[in-house]
Amino acid sequence: MASKAERLAADVHLLSVENHGVSMAASKKILIVDDSPAQVKLIHGLLEREGYSPVGLSDPKLVEETIHMVRPMVILLDVVMPERNGFQVCRDLKGNTEFKEIPVIMVTSKDTASDKFWGEQQGADGYVTKPFTREDLLRAVRRFA
Amino acid sequence: MRNANVLILTDETDFARLLTACWQGERNPPGITVLSSELMKEQDSPPHDLVVLGPLREGKLSGLLSSLDPAAAVILCAPADSRELAQLRAKYPRLVHVPLREDWAQTLLLVAGESLRRAEAMRLAKQAERNASENERYATLGRYMMDMKHSVNNALTSMLGNAELLLLEPGQLSSQSLAQIKTIHSMALRINEIMQRFSTLATEMREAENSSQAETEETPTPSVPRC
Repeated sequence: MASKAERLAADVHLLSVENHGVSMAASKKILIVDDSPAQVKLIHGLLEREGYSPVGLSDPKLVEETIHMVRPMVILLDVVMPERNGFQVCRDLKGNTEFKEIPVIMVTSKDTASDKFWGEQQGADGYVTKPFTREDLLRAVRRFA
Repeated sequence: MRNANVLILTDETDFARLLTACWQGERNPPGITVLSSELMKEQDSPPHDLVVLGPLREGKLSGLLSSLDPAAAVILCAPADSRELAQLRAKYPRLVHVPLREDWAQTLLLVAGESLRRAEAMRLAKQAERNASENERYATLGRYMMDMKHSVNNALTSMLGNAELLLLEPGQLSSQSLAQIKTIHSMALRINEIMQRFSTLATEMREAENSSQAETEETPTPSVPRC
């Protein structure tokens, strides 16, 4: 069975290979956390062509370790994910002195007023509902990066 | 209370005339149809909320009663010593008897008013039951749609986003392919608009439920007979 470190490397590598040589140290790094690889790939594509360096992660249990490794400017966080949902992840990040300053944008299909309110309660800095247009996503990201 | 329909069945013209006149003096008179026992035999009984059976020819009463809708409210206005009465009451427990004595018209109008209010209450209760059943079906549909919304929104995100990416970076795509991608994009937006409607479904369902509740709680206004 693969160790946690191996799983982390595999998960992040899987998506970071699509950075096409963009220097992650020099660019605006965005961490995309979504259990759907198709969604990650899409957001990755939309951000990359705008000059960002997106890094995708499909396992929400590995968020903290990935942040340590990537040091993103913004985190795009899905809500409905298995084992650890986006609200829980956001609450944990905002309760952690090391990560609490990193802006978290919830990117989710949960679009009711109560969902948005709950997101705010967990400390989310932005909220983008699916389906979004390219402009919706970029507007939210540009507020922070 | 909506306008009620009353059927007066009698072979005595004066009975029908007096009762009709009394009812016409009411604030909200019901729609009244008068039929003799012979006419009743010849045609189908018109829709009614209440049947008033007045004096009839000998031997006609039992046959007429059996031809009426068993759920209909029926008031029998007959002398208290009528031979058939005891048997009929046993056979038709919902039959209300008003003795045909001096003040029969006033008594009958009071009893009829109560019967009509009861019929109206029954109608409202049935309507409320129908509404509740319909709301239950809508609620099931709504819950299903809300469950599916997450999956649909995720699929739409991919459709919209990838279409936008292809339109931004068309590469070697032909103009025909680009036009097709634009169509996919606009159709995805349209589906999104339709899905937004389901977000308000819960509110609409709550409103329908409240309206049904208000209708159920509506109290009929009593009217006092003046005859």
